[in-house]
Amino acid sequence: MDVTGEQHELRATVRRFLAEKAGDSLLWRQMADQLGLQGVALPEKYGGAGAGLTELAIVMEELGRVLLPSPYFATVALAGHALAECGDEAKSRWLPAIVDGSLTATVAFSGADVRACGGELTGTAMFVVDGDTADLLLVVAGADLYAVEGKSVRRTRLQTLDPTRRLGRLELDRTPAVRLDANVDRVRDLAVIALAAEQVGGARACLDAAVGYAKVRVQFGRPIGSFQAIKHKCADLLLEVEAARSAVEHAAATTGDDLPIAAALAAAYCSVVYTRVAKENIQIHGGIGYTWEHDAHRHLKRAKSSELLFGTPATHRARLADLVGI
Amino acid sequence: MSETDEEFRLRLRAFLTSSHPGRRPKDRADRLGWQKAWLAALFDGGFAGPSWPRAYGGMELSFARQVIYHEEYAKARLPRPLGTGVSIAAPTIITYGTDEQKDRYLRPMLRGDVVWAQGYSEPDAGSDLPALRTTASRDGDVYVVNGQKVWTSAADIADIIFTLVRTGSVESRQDGISYLLIDAHAPGVTIRPLRDLTGDAHFCEIFFDDVRVPVANRVGAENGGWPLVRTSLGHERAAGVMNQAATYRRVLDELIELARERGLTSDPLVRDRLAGFEMRVRIMRYTGMRTIADIIARGEPGPASSTSRLFVALFEQELHEFAVDVLGPYGVLDREDPHAVQRGRWVWGFLRTRASTIGAGTAEIQRNTIAEQVLGLPRDPGMPAR
Repeated sequence: MDVTGEQHELRATVRRFLAEKAGDSLLWRQMADQLGLQGVALPEKYGGAGAGLTELAIVMEELGRVLLPSPYFATVALAGHALAECGDEAKSRWLPAIVDGSLTATVAFSGADVRACGGELTGTAMFVVDGDTADLLLVVAGADLYAVEGKSVRRTRLQTLDPTRRLGRLELDRTPAVRLDANVDRVRDLAVIALAAEQVGGARACLDAAVGYAKVRVQFGRPIGSFQAIKHKCADLLLEVEAARSAVEHAAATTGDDLPIAAALAAAYCSVVYTRVAKENIQIHGGIGYTWEHDAHRHLKRAKSSELLFGTPATHRARLADLVGI
Repeated sequence: MSETDEEFRLRLRAFLTSSHPGRRPKDRADRLGWQKAWLAALFDGGFAGPSWPRAYGGMELSFARQVIYHEEYAKARLPRPLGTGVSIAAPTIITYGTDEQKDRYLRPMLRGDVVWAQGYSEPDAGSDLPALRTTASRDGDVYVVNGQKVWTSAADIADIIFTLVRTGSVESRQDGISYLLIDAHAPGVTIRPLRDLTGDAHFCEIFFDDVRVPVANRVGAENGGWPLVRTSLGHERAAGVMNQAATYRRVLDELIELARERGLTSDPLVRDRLAGFEMRVRIMRYTGMRTIADIIARGEPGPASSTSRLFVALFEQELHEFAVDVLGPYGVLDREDPHAVQRGRWVWGFLRTRASTIGAGTAEIQRNTIAEQVLGLPRDPGMPAR
């Protein structure tokens, strides 16, 4: 779990890049062309950098800090990892295009609502991240994963709590699909770890914002950050954020049989922390934090919707209890 | 060094198992002898002081090996070092002590032959430590010490009390403090145990009445004691977290077993709480390892090390309180009652861990420190500058 110089460099580079380029419509291609971020954790054979989940977690954390509306999470963390789990045919067909930024994709964890019959899928998938725009849709049906062309599916954008993350609804009606040989549980574990990393980045951004504001906002003739009520709140938030970071760093470095445990733990812990810090950030900002113009509510919305995206914290805790034999 | 980590683990485990001193005696005096005999056996076997330099009888283990050490030690349910010397005074002596002081004090401390207790707090100087008033006036080559200390753990079994005393003016605050080692058996030292809310006498109050202490017992410069308070071997803190993580891993497993025996693990609310503790006990371990990685990579522990003490304190309080809930009506029974579950350990733990957010700096002071030193928030203008 040693943090290497390369990992520090990656974090600094991504942060600098996002600070300079956020809002640039060409960002997606530049992420691929200039930094190779889409391929950071994908195999070298398909154009990726072949680094691990730790590196992906660093990128996700940085994206989470700035709440970048981007198909990165869906394309890379969800679909990219799912495809990397598949056989060579699927990999060589789609991964190079994901790596070079020419293909967006996602995974629809739709549970029992989609059924497969003879190479065709029928049913509805809800809450699909970037489901309304992704070029390639990987759809879970039963215990299996199928690839579907985005163009062949009727899809709508859902009106959501978090405007910085698109969620779609897919309607499949005997839609032609290619069955992939990925382990869906593992794909989901990797997805929640990546999401947890994003949550840690968001939580840290909220804490930084709250602390920064507490240093400059003066009331009763002194910065509010000199009052113990605020100080202690910030200290407690740091405690939670650092604990969440420990959970994510461990999960990202975990391989083998312990992955489901690490994933359930990271998902349960980090999602609760992000929501808490996002709420307290608004509280510490007072009236200004409650306004539409201030960024604080964007984090709250991202935090709450991320908390619910792949199961509530309680379901992750229940899963953890099962996995460790409680 | 050809031994692998796994071989080291097995060799250590074999030693700890074969030399295990057996069940803890109930009688207090017997217990002290039992503990001292164990610490001596540990030292003589070459298994004491995992992070200590070899020159002072320690093992000077790599971080990875320290992790293994603390895990095995906690699993084996063995007595901890006596007093607070090994964890608190030793890093100070190693960093600031003279060669003579190192030679004289360190090995006997580690072997448990000489027990050390920390005399920092005073009735009016706890959280506000620079307000301390115990004086040490120079008389030739001795200091004459007068004053009172309080909340001193293990002072009643201590041989040496490492103290902070005022050698400067009354107003000098932290700039007039010296670090002095006082013989607990010297004339003029009176030690009185204080009964705490568990019914035990864990702490003592100490009175110094014209106690003559050789100047040679001062560590660091006269009036230069304050910076010594914060000394810790960087990795000592990380090792402490690892050690607590290993201990609480075992305690949580025992609590889960207790809940299972009482048929509660099918209750979703109980499962949810237990899963919460499971997460936190694991995070404790990850944080310890992360801190170690930070020390290796950057030469210093990162922000997680400053929050980990509070993290553990809150965890152990909540864990024990929940354990009492798990006991249901049996949670009302004291240790002395024959029907008490597991000799009343959970109820005792519930009471004992009230001290976790008070001792060695209250949680409030820890939060101030975290907020100011890690997050850079401004000091309270009502607090004197440091």
